[in-house]
Amino acid sequence: MRRWGYRHVITPLVENMDVLDLGLGTEQRRRLFKFTDVRGDIVALVGERTVPVARLVAGKLRTAPLPLRLCYAGPVLSTDEERFQHRRETYQVGAELIGASGPVADAEVITLAARCMEATGIRRYQIDVGHAEFFHGIMDAVRLPDEVKAAVRAALAARDFVALEALLEGTDLKSAEHELLLRFPALRGGPEILEAAGGLVRNRRSELALAELAQLRELLVAHGIGDVVNLDLGAIRDFDYYTGIIFEGYGPDFGRPVAQGGRYDSLLSRFGRPAPATGFMVQLDLVSEMLTRAPRPPALPRIDAAIAWTEGGLGTALRLGSTLRLFGMRAVVDTEARNDAAARSWWQAVGAANLIQCRSESSVAWSAPGQRARTLPPEQVAARLAGSGQ
Amino acid sequence: MTRDEQVSIAIPTGALLNGALSVLSAAGLARLTAEELGRQLLIERDSVRVILVRPADVPAYVDHGAADLGIVGKDILWETPGAHYELVDLRFGGCRLVLAVPDASALDGPETWPPMMRVATKYPRTASAWFETRGQAVEMVQLHGSVELAPQVGLVDGIVDLTATGRTLQENRLRIAEVLGSSTARLIANQASLKTRSAAVQSVVSKLREASGNAG
Repeated sequence: MRRWGYRHVITPLVENMDVLDLGLGTEQRRRLFKFTDVRGDIVALVGERTVPVARLVAGKLRTAPLPLRLCYAGPVLSTDEERFQHRRETYQVGAELIGASGPVADAEVITLAARCMEATGIRRYQIDVGHAEFFHGIMDAVRLPDEVKAAVRAALAARDFVALEALLEGTDLKSAEHELLLRFPALRGGPEILEAAGGLVRNRRSELALAELAQLRELLVAHGIGDVVNLDLGAIRDFDYYTGIIFEGYGPDFGRPVAQGGRYDSLLSRFGRPAPATGFMVQLDLVSEMLTRAPRPPALPRIDAAIAWTEGGLGTALRLGSTLRLFGMRAVVDTEARNDAAARSWWQAVGAANLIQCRSESSVAWSAPGQRARTLPPEQVAARLAGSGQ
Repeated sequence: MTRDEQVSIAIPTGALLNGALSVLSAAGLARLTAEELGRQLLIERDSVRVILVRPADVPAYVDHGAADLGIVGKDILWETPGAHYELVDLRFGGCRLVLAVPDASALDGPETWPPMMRVATKYPRTASAWFETRGQAVEMVQLHGSVELAPQVGLVDGIVDLTATGRTLQENRLRIAEVLGSSTARLIANQASLKTRSAAVQSVVSKLREASGNAG
């Protein structure tokens, strides 16, 4: 994320409840671990990190010019055991672009989310993009009494399309929007879906949302991720929070989204610094679960060199370790002197590609799997290892 | 048939099994008998893989993506809400969740309820929520079987249980005081399956929708 100019910020694990109250909905507040501090104030362990970042932007960073590009990584907690696969804690990495509106900013954040998913080692993934305003427009346009509208929202939030159908069938004011709501889970695909939906909606809000999605799609193609993006007009998210483009990232054969994000233009004003904003987070422990269950789980990062030493070779070992690290290699220097046999079994345990044994200032023994040990001056070993491009 | 095109469906043992097998057959997806599925628990056909699990486990299989789709009673969904989509009312396995009290009991509508009512049920979550919206304090006794027995021996004032015909209630000298809700079999779907393999999953969904007598 640094390559995209995002600055890493660290927000506290414990936040004052009155700060979180400003940003979180009732349900999210309910799920927080809460306790009191010595002054008797209620504090909570963070359940997500967007609100703390917003507070930071409106507080400590209030003089920093917008737009701000910030990213974070850290644990979040929830009392709801269902929430993170029966764990109370999960690890989230995320980024927020604050102070920029419009599809160009949305496209940047979605592309960054895609690159983050790639960086984790997921080989195949897709990103579904939708728009909260498409839904709001439909809800404005359906002619229903307020209490039925509330029930329709509740049914959609629970993804209960049987209840939704019953609610909509009970009214005789049919419109194209009714049909759209019932087909919500199937409103996804490529650019053609925008045209199909455009033919059905008759309200300005939804039409604007469709136009914005069309523009966004072109930008994502230009960013080079057009082939992993689907449009999903029926995406169901927290519609009280999100105000524009929303998206979710899915990996192969995994039952839940591993990345989520979207535009939330109304949050910052609650902290006294109104600004448009968009961001995302990746749930790292879901990613790691998915990777370990994949047919070919990724190997741990390879250590390039295990450097052992005996009396008189420690100085050489330390210098060689520094040199190899300067060339970007991973090198482990032993913490005690070992004889040849002990050094070889230590090499096994470390799991490094090469073993280098330092016995004096002038020469070292270099072993690689399947090769006889060679005795060379330390500079030559360093040059050969660095030159081999490992 | 690759994993991408094959759709897995979890179906429940017990009362809904035969209905589930006939809707799968009517949809032209798989012709299976209860006996062969009972022996194998997992059977693969051209476009589907059918998994037989306990009714209460269907939502877990679907929510975690071990099955793309599931057939399950609405009563189970009341007790275990999750991140799945509830897509189709399959219109079989109809039954009601009721508050039943002994024939001789004075309990009837809410006006006759005591300040603290004791109720036995296999549906504590649904029952608690229902009483709570009516402002009634209840003590839940969670039982795992033969719930009908509890009021007869004075363990509880009444039971909240599922009934299709009402016969079991009558045999145990219980009568229905209130209906909490009606349940039928539902088709549920994993949220990610709908997105990542939508063509295959949606095609099975619409076949099942048609076979169950739902229009369009």
